[in-house]
Amino acid sequence: MSVIRLDGVVKRYETGVETIEALKDVNFYADRGEMVVVTGPSGSGKSTMLNMIGLLDIPTEGEIYLAGRDVSDFGEDERTEERRSQLGFVFQNFHLLPMLTAEENVELPSMWDTDVDRRERAVDLLERVGLGERLTHTPDELSGGQQQRVAIARSLINEPDILLADEPTGNLDQDTGATVLDEITRLKREENIAVVSITHDEQLVEYADRVVRIVDGVVQ
Amino acid sequence: MAWRNLGRNRTRTALAVLGIVIGVIAIASLGMAGVALEQQATSSLGSLTDQAIVSPGEDIDTDGLTETQVETIRDVAPATTVIPQKTNRTELSARNGEKANVQVTGLENPAPLYDIAVGDAPTRLETGTLISESTARTLGLEIGDPIEYDGQLFRIRGLIASDSGFGPDSGGELVLPLSAFNEQDYYNSVTIIAEDGPAATDAANAIEAHFNEDDDEVLSVTTYASVQENITSFTDTLELALLGIGSISLFVASVAILNVMLMSTIERRGEIGVLRAVGVRRGEVLRMILIEAAFLGVVGGIVGAAGSLAVGCVIFHLLANDPALALAWSSSRYLLYGFTFALVASVLSGIYPAWKAANESPVDALRGS
Repeated sequence: MSVIRLDGVVKRYETGVETIEALKDVNFYADRGEMVVVTGPSGSGKSTMLNMIGLLDIPTEGEIYLAGRDVSDFGEDERTEERRSQLGFVFQNFHLLPMLTAEENVELPSMWDTDVDRRERAVDLLERVGLGERLTHTPDELSGGQQQRVAIARSLINEPDILLADEPTGNLDQDTGATVLDEITRLKREENIAVVSITHDEQLVEYADRVVRIVDGVVQ
Repeated sequence: MAWRNLGRNRTRTALAVLGIVIGVIAIASLGMAGVALEQQATSSLGSLTDQAIVSPGEDIDTDGLTETQVETIRDVAPATTVIPQKTNRTELSARNGEKANVQVTGLENPAPLYDIAVGDAPTRLETGTLISESTARTLGLEIGDPIEYDGQLFRIRGLIASDSGFGPDSGGELVLPLSAFNEQDYYNSVTIIAEDGPAATDAANAIEAHFNEDDDEVLSVTTYASVQENITSFTDTLELALLGIGSISLFVASVAILNVMLMSTIERRGEIGVLRAVGVRRGEVLRMILIEAAFLGVVGGIVGAAGSLAVGCVIFHLLANDPALALAWSSSRYLLYGFTFALVASVLSGIYPAWKAANESPVDALRGS
């Protein structure tokens, strides 16, 4: 069973005068242990698609299944709970909180949970991405590649089923991008998770188990 | 976490805190100033508040109060000290050529009514006289010197301390035994000293009820308790007005907090979007920002209360000559009020930015960054 599945998803935006159809009847799935890369020109709808998969937005039509459950009609709070327990996010701009240390940034998603202590897992994840020596550094003391690895550790803190990456190498040079992608690939295997990444970066495609191309809101 | 967020823009945080500090100082020190004024006014009235003065009313048949009326007053107002007085004015001239116009009071028991600076104040004045310190100085008189009044000589037994407050007889005064007024049949007034203000008022009411009927005013009774009430109600109004001014400044301060929190949430839009994306609940974002606002309020409130205490000590030092009075509950409670206001105002003005940040869609927040 696919861990995430989009079934005939349509997303329309009203922009006052016209209606834009960002996604037109999109079908998509991802399984555990595979890395699916979604490519397409800008404005093709790949970001909208990632928002659908990441339960950040709701489809106008169609269904989204997360681990077999229909989550298309979930409200904001229910989707927040699903994101909290099932999903991990990595962004192009890393989006680490500047006043927190690497370790605190990794613990961030669970910082409000008083009942679980994620400290050990945070340290373990940072060690696994090679930042065991940098636990107490703040983001401005880390290089871009190191920051993105902190972000990857953060995305895995909640032991998610799916890791969503939005241009994870977009702000990194070729070599650093390669190490970050090696890291993602290794963790994907170790944690047995599905990785869905959107990119224009051809380098990323080399790491993909499967490539989905989207143009004008239609999966090719 | 909230603390570190505030630390990110120190200048802005400091300015917001400064606004609250000013607001708290305004509220607390103006409140304390009101209390100080009231205490000062009350202490100026001093012991007068437990007195009632009975004087002849418009409809009295005689030229003053009769011995019988005085006795009746003693019966009507038991448990009070009743001091009947005969008064007159005279001019005293000294050997050094100085003259002084004084009020002459004849009474039996001067001790409760006069503060004696030098010498003694007997409870039964049968010989001798008391004179105002200032008048004695003008005339070059000392204890033991004789004063002539109405053909009789009286030796000075004590000097009356100059009264700093306002009340009757604060000019030059000569106090004589009643025997000096033998040719005067009636008393000009009767002072009644009760235990406290309310008792004085009760006695005054009892006397009025006994002697006066409807429009027929035989005796007129004045109490300072009512003056005290007027002062209290005036200072209460003043305090309220001062607090109002203070509240305006705290209101301005809370607008400043609103602005700071709004700016900082707009600035951190992307970050808050990330928090929401990684599964931080709306309530948790809301709480985080409210705690930041509350932090501003607590810090500003504490600093402001400390500053107000200093201001309060200065005010009490100037008005009451005792800075420690600022610590008394009647004035120090304004520190608590100021602090509470600061906390409530900060949390209230944090609500909108917090609500706005928490309810923004993560997609929009992320795209905007």
